[in-house]
Amino acid sequence: MLILVPHHAAATIRQAGPWGGMTLRGNHEDLAVIRGVSTRDGATFPVNTSPGQNLIAATGDVRASGYWYRVAPVLHVYWRQVSGRLGTRVPLSVFQEHLTSGYKKPGTTPYLALTYAPNLTDAFPDHNAPDIVAWRVGRDGAYPLNCLVEPSTTGISQIQDHWPVRDLQTAHVMLVGAGSIGSATAHALAGYGIGHLTLVDPDRLSWHNLVRHTTSRRHVGRSKVTALAEELTDLRPDTTVTPLVLDVIDDADRIRTLLPQSDLVLCTADGVAARRVTGHLARRAGIPAVMACVLQDGALGEILRLRPWPQHGCLTCRRQALAEHGGIDPEPALDAGYGTGTRHRPMTAVGPDLHLVAHLAAKTAIATLLERLGHPDQRLPGEHGLISLRRQPDCAPPFDLNRTGETRWLPATPPRPGCPTCETP
Amino acid sequence: MRIDEAFDEFQRSVNEDVGQTRLARERRDLFKRALISEPDVTEAFGSGSLRRSTQLKPINDVDIIAVYDTTQHPDWGTAGLSAEDALDHARGQVNRLLGKTNGSHGNEVRLALPRNHAVKCFLDDPDDENGFTVDVMPALRQADGTLLIPEKLTQNWVPADPEHLIDLVADRQRDWEHFRPLVRVLKQWRHDVAVTGRIKSLVIEVLALDCMPTSGNRPSALRAFFTASAARVNERVKDPAELCGEIQPDLDYDGLQAALADAAELADRACAAAAAGETDQALRLWQEILGDSFPAPAAPTKPANPVTGAPALITGTPALITPRPIKDAPQG
Repeated sequence: MLILVPHHAAATIRQAGPWGGMTLRGNHEDLAVIRGVSTRDGATFPVNTSPGQNLIAATGDVRASGYWYRVAPVLHVYWRQVSGRLGTRVPLSVFQEHLTSGYKKPGTTPYLALTYAPNLTDAFPDHNAPDIVAWRVGRDGAYPLNCLVEPSTTGISQIQDHWPVRDLQTAHVMLVGAGSIGSATAHALAGYGIGHLTLVDPDRLSWHNLVRHTTSRRHVGRSKVTALAEELTDLRPDTTVTPLVLDVIDDADRIRTLLPQSDLVLCTADGVAARRVTGHLARRAGIPAVMACVLQDGALGEILRLRPWPQHGCLTCRRQALAEHGGIDPEPALDAGYGTGTRHRPMTAVGPDLHLVAHLAAKTAIATLLERLGHPDQRLPGEHGLISLRRQPDCAPPFDLNRTGETRWLPATPPRPGCPTCETP
Repeated sequence: MRIDEAFDEFQRSVNEDVGQTRLARERRDLFKRALISEPDVTEAFGSGSLRRSTQLKPINDVDIIAVYDTTQHPDWGTAGLSAEDALDHARGQVNRLLGKTNGSHGNEVRLALPRNHAVKCFLDDPDDENGFTVDVMPALRQADGTLLIPEKLTQNWVPADPEHLIDLVADRQRDWEHFRPLVRVLKQWRHDVAVTGRIKSLVIEVLALDCMPTSGNRPSALRAFFTASAARVNERVKDPAELCGEIQPDLDYDGLQAALADAAELADRACAAAAAGETDQALRLWQEILGDSFPAPAAPTKPANPVTGAPALITGTPALITPRPIKDAPQG
């Protein structure tokens, strides 16, 4: 059995007197969560419990009650020792002996107990035993149970000693496109700890999106950005998500006013026009843009980093440079919807392949922000990343990747004379 | 030698000695006292790197700003000959106050020549390349607290806010004790960078304001500076007061970017070496970045790898730098 101990319950137990009561709710999975605690024999106060929400809603759940005790540290060393031995228990006399007060004798039915051992680390620095542990106390002895105590800190700050959390918590990324790649990108950006994320997409979630989108079936019919924002807020509360039901082309004026508040824009929108508009607006705003898409019916993933630097060309400049070298065929109808147009076939990429590209795009965005803040371990090998998702033979360079999974990074190409995006207006 | 000791020793080689700094300040103060005694001068204060304490050795010039009373010079501050008039006026005052032959406050100035923004006052032989000079820049205080300074070439007055930069540097120094010393280190570093033309020291100082961390040790701060600067220099280096635009439009940005990127790579390796306990290797890499004045390790203390006999990975260095093995400690 596993007992979940919410932070509020743990804090109460750590700060209260020698013993108290507790109520739990459990389910058929041998899982229980503390729902209320009391001190001594006073009233039981409800515990605000996020990890046990699923248990509250579960049908067929069961209620249970028990006690918590303040104990001598050595009892937890015993807990550690007997935990590793199946069916082993601590004799009741020993269990009782190490309680400071409040011992409840078990009846015919065992009860659940938590014990809290203050100063455990000082007393037994090498035993690595937790300060709160669980027991099933019956007439034949106290059996150790597993328990998970919710830490006081559960968010991204947990890893701040190993990851530049503070730098990213103040960063603001605008994500244009909340479709298959965009939804996975949003999750990845939040996973990295981006503090502020603005989602831009005019579309609603449809049945056919579900095969590739990260959002679940219950959101069908809603705006993709709204559904995604809700899910992200639930999953990654350290990221503030602002959903905007806007089209980057039709609402370019509004996007333009918002971009200066962003540190970077990441575009996963369908269609050449939306990508060009995003790149143009980003350059005018003086912020980097990262473009993510798949080419060749999902066989190739592509990440383009467009930094607003004089020697770096925009999306159009880079595409034209590739076209001139025979690397890419600039289809005039490339921005037609999936499954429409004469040159297009229905989208054939599989969700995880798109998510792989999405994660690389998010990594590119994060690395771009962090490099600019002086993190040398986040420098990328180039400005144009290619990843083979399904190997395509005989592609022209630079798309001639030989095996699935192969990646290639290329440098930037310079702006072309007369480019309306790259040249200062 | 430990890394921090090496940085201390290198810093001493970069810093001007106390006597020269004191002399420069005395000369600056002499000019300030003389100028403020004039009835049409409302303020006289030092600016430039000496004021910000980011001056590099040797100190052979000092900057003074003399703010004039607009009511006594109502025709100044507008386009036309008033910019040149202001410079001539300041030159006349300097000669009268501090001229070699009959200065009323001292006899320091051998020659005073109006330049584009300031009057250059030669305290040594004007032909001496390392002679000491004081630049006196006339200015007018504007309602918003910024200054208007004359620009002879364009016959105009342009806005400037040198006090903003002074304040920024002082704030950063308050936040982190190594800021000013490392700015001097970086100013020294720029002299050995392979760029076409020269890099203005102000470019480096503003980059440092933008890219230098506000905490940490010196190696990690330099590593962060080089990394961030290699990216940000592509956005051009501009007046932090946002009045004067780009500081050095003719700068060889490509060369500087490449130099910063190279330094970032070496600094990253130096920090990794230090973290792995390879102090000598770290010192050698810092020397590669900062030049021969940076202390080198006393002597090789580690033999070449007897197992692999791996050759040196860096040309010109002993076979001490071997690939770092990855730890077999899977996660996930």
